[in-house]
Amino acid sequence: MLRSSEFDHFASVGSMVAVVMRTYERPIMLARAIASVQNQTFRDWTLIIVNNGGNPGPVEDVVRVAKSATPCGDIQVLHLSERVGMEEASNRGLAATESDFFAIHDDDDSWNARFLEVAVDGMRAHPSAAAVVTGIYRIHELYRDGKIRPVHSEKFYLSEERLTFRGMIGNNTFPPIAALFQRRLLSEIGEFDSSLPVLGDWEFNLRAVLAGGFVYIPERLANYHTRTPDSETASGNSITVGIDLHHQIRGQLQKRWLEEPNIDGVNKGALSIATFAADNPNTVRRVWRKILAGVKNPLRGARAVWRIIRHIVSRLR
Amino acid sequence: MSRSAPQVLEMHSSATVLTIDFFDTLVSRSVAQPTHVFAVMEEELCRRFGHRWTGFALQRVVAEQIARRKAAITDTNRDVTFDEICSELCELMDLSRDDHHLIADLEKKTEVSLAVAVKFGCDIVSLAREKSMPVLIVSDNYMSAQHIVNMAHAVGLSWVTASDVIVSSEHGAMKHNGTLWDVVLRHLDVSPSLILHVGDDAKADGDVPASRGIATHVNDRMRRSHRHMMNTTPAVLPFSRLEAEYRDSVSSGEWDAAEMFGALVGMIVAGQIVDVRNVLAQREIAGIHFVARDGFLAHSVWSNLRASGVQLPEASYFSFSRSVVWRAGIHVVDELTMARFIGDDEEMTVPRLERRLGCSLDSTIDRTVTISAVTARQILVANSKNILVASATLRERMLSYLQAQGLLEPGHHVVVDLGWTGSSIADLAHIVSEATNGQSVIEGRLTGLYWDAWSQRARVSLHGFAMDDFHTIDDNRRLLGILNLLEVMVTAPHGSVVGYSDSENGVAPIYVDTQVEKEAFEQLVARVSAIGARVATAIVTDSPDSPVKSSDITGETVWAAMMQVGHTPRPEEIAVSGLLRHISAIDHEGAGTALLGDAPTRPKKVNDTFVHDVFNTLMHGHWLQGTLRHWNQKPESAEVVSDIEKRFPFTQPQWVGQ
Repeated sequence: MLRSSEFDHFASVGSMVAVVMRTYERPIMLARAIASVQNQTFRDWTLIIVNNGGNPGPVEDVVRVAKSATPCGDIQVLHLSERVGMEEASNRGLAATESDFFAIHDDDDSWNARFLEVAVDGMRAHPSAAAVVTGIYRIHELYRDGKIRPVHSEKFYLSEERLTFRGMIGNNTFPPIAALFQRRLLSEIGEFDSSLPVLGDWEFNLRAVLAGGFVYIPERLANYHTRTPDSETASGNSITVGIDLHHQIRGQLQKRWLEEPNIDGVNKGALSIATFAADNPNTVRRVWRKILAGVKNPLRGARAVWRIIRHIVSRLR
Repeated sequence: MSRSAPQVLEMHSSATVLTIDFFDTLVSRSVAQPTHVFAVMEEELCRRFGHRWTGFALQRVVAEQIARRKAAITDTNRDVTFDEICSELCELMDLSRDDHHLIADLEKKTEVSLAVAVKFGCDIVSLAREKSMPVLIVSDNYMSAQHIVNMAHAVGLSWVTASDVIVSSEHGAMKHNGTLWDVVLRHLDVSPSLILHVGDDAKADGDVPASRGIATHVNDRMRRSHRHMMNTTPAVLPFSRLEAEYRDSVSSGEWDAAEMFGALVGMIVAGQIVDVRNVLAQREIAGIHFVARDGFLAHSVWSNLRASGVQLPEASYFSFSRSVVWRAGIHVVDELTMARFIGDDEEMTVPRLERRLGCSLDSTIDRTVTISAVTARQILVANSKNILVASATLRERMLSYLQAQGLLEPGHHVVVDLGWTGSSIADLAHIVSEATNGQSVIEGRLTGLYWDAWSQRARVSLHGFAMDDFHTIDDNRRLLGILNLLEVMVTAPHGSVVGYSDSENGVAPIYVDTQVEKEAFEQLVARVSAIGARVATAIVTDSPDSPVKSSDITGETVWAAMMQVGHTPRPEEIAVSGLLRHISAIDHEGAGTALLGDAPTRPKKVNDTFVHDVFNTLMHGHWLQGTLRHWNQKPESAEVVSDIEKRFPFTQPQWVGQ
């Protein structure tokens, strides 16, 4: 059990939790996301909605409706006149708030009502941790004609191991909706990297995990919503709509890390590339299949090997 | 018809020794089923030690199952021991040795604290002792004889000592397989024909001892409150206590299914009232409005509470329905806006179409001819002028009615409804906002919401008290499966509103009373409503007679009550539901659909399409779980249930921890 003195450093002027919600022209999803925050059994939060260059009118309309909920909670809106990157939007939202902890709640995701209560309890129990991450449901949903329908849900694979530095270095292992971070990280390791159009959360997580470790709470309290391919494109997730961009940025980051000095004799970039290959058995299996095919058909095999070499070189470039 | 204790002893007058089962025959617990004892423990553990004990109750059941399986491997005759169960639990929950002692001690204490005497069992023991018959307690249980003595003493059976108890865990034998009966016969050393055994298990207390020549009497009345053993969590306890109270009050009488439906309705209504009180504690309110037919009962209870002196503000009940709010909100008539008025698979005549839209329609089609949905929509589009005029008139009357109810007063209004998507309330909010230039703001407080509410949240603020769209997809589906049951049970004595007309006192709703709904109300629903009102009143006033207090009413506990009845109904509840039909047509016409669907003929080769079609029919037209449990009672339809449960695992009876 924690003694009362161990809670002292959590006291602050602002809310205990700042929830940053980036949004762009998705009022129905935004309304759902706000309600997901308002439903929290833990009440000491401030929600900052960062309207990332979108039309202010629909956002204001949604917020006006949301403010008629009981309890309403502290909801603030930051309209950006021009669209900036996702991570820059997060940084602007964080800069506009004060808190002990923060969460990045994307406008298309949702929480179980107990998410903040459990995550804050987790933080209190592990004051030196950088973040608490809960279990996740992935909800595949269809968005069409202003209506959202879940198609199916699945248990998102996550484990304590996947929340360590080595567990995360190969891949982004969890979406932001599942995490509650210590605010102190921003001064210790810096903000989100605003130069990254995607995977900024992964890059941040890899810095954060070295500043205290992540605590895993297996209870599935976060809902990661992704739209099915037949949904309207404007509703899509960065991961489902921009998968090529994710590959490209992962390559860029790995290249950046290759140039960084080794830590304890290990290069972050090399470790990331090796771990990514090991974490993606399908990729390895695909390579093996191509090698086997090459044994049967040397010309086809040579072409496949050449393509793989070209791919690896392009990622290292 | 159950026999009384004197009748049973008289029937077996040659018996000189009475043996009696303990749990649910002589002593029971003040919860509906044995596994709910663990929910009481979980509540206590979480209160004392926090979240790490969440899920304890279910894990405790699982641990016992594992321990029993392991015990059966080494010796099929012996019962599992309490220590073995606790050890398995420690393994499952990663508990320490100290925790082991803690839970073992707590379980014993909890059992004793919850012990209640069973009238029939105590009567027969008392009579036997008056006749100087030796009485021996024979129990299949993992606890010790001393624990049984402690529980007996807790309910006033002070004569019981450890030598009066033979319990399976201390003899390496069980009643179920007969070995404990051999121990009993050796212990008593009398002819089996001189023994009368009384218990609640048809096999262990009936067939098995009877095969050894022992006279038996089985009374399983205390088991009538049992539902699915795995559904145990602290949230289930308030409803469990209501069930246990009723079980004890009718221990020798017939089980009335209306009582448990009434208890459920009572918890829902109490939830609606508690939720409004929560809002009142947090903000200034311009008006409280219980709406639609499912708000009638809550409004009655609210009004009666005020009349009896409870400090509550005035609240209105106003009638509106999906159809009138849709019709009153028509601004454009085209294929898209008219689609919601006619289901794709509907067929109807032009006169019915006129009643549905509330205006006359010009058409060359014979008025007696049935037309398709496509043709019907084309007729509507061709009659856009008539429809818009009718809509404007209806809107004007509706607004007059709403004004009389106070809904157009500037400020924050709380509108209380049962559920389920919030679309009608969003439409209502839009009409009201337009009419008041945004001065009157509506907040929807609903008992249950499912995922269709996601799209409404941009239009109106919605709160789901017992269940909302952020619960798991499976819980969303479970709610969908019970909508028809709840709409039939939580309703008003009048029919649905189809319009508003001028009356002496201003504008009044026009109701359509269907024969089907009238009959349902007379046969069952009126009684359920009366019981529901009584239960809700007792809860929200914290009556000392009520086993549930207002502080017990939370979203989780109301949801648990909805699941206990709606998802794991008892046979008596299914039987009475066979009488009921649900009217779902937008114009409230027709005979509706039966709550319990007819079982389909199962093809020899079952494919996915068959299972999907059956499932969709049940989800959209019937009470899903009531129908599945009904089908499960017959071998020919039980296979279809199995097909559905395999394809849609959420339909399986376990709803806790899934």
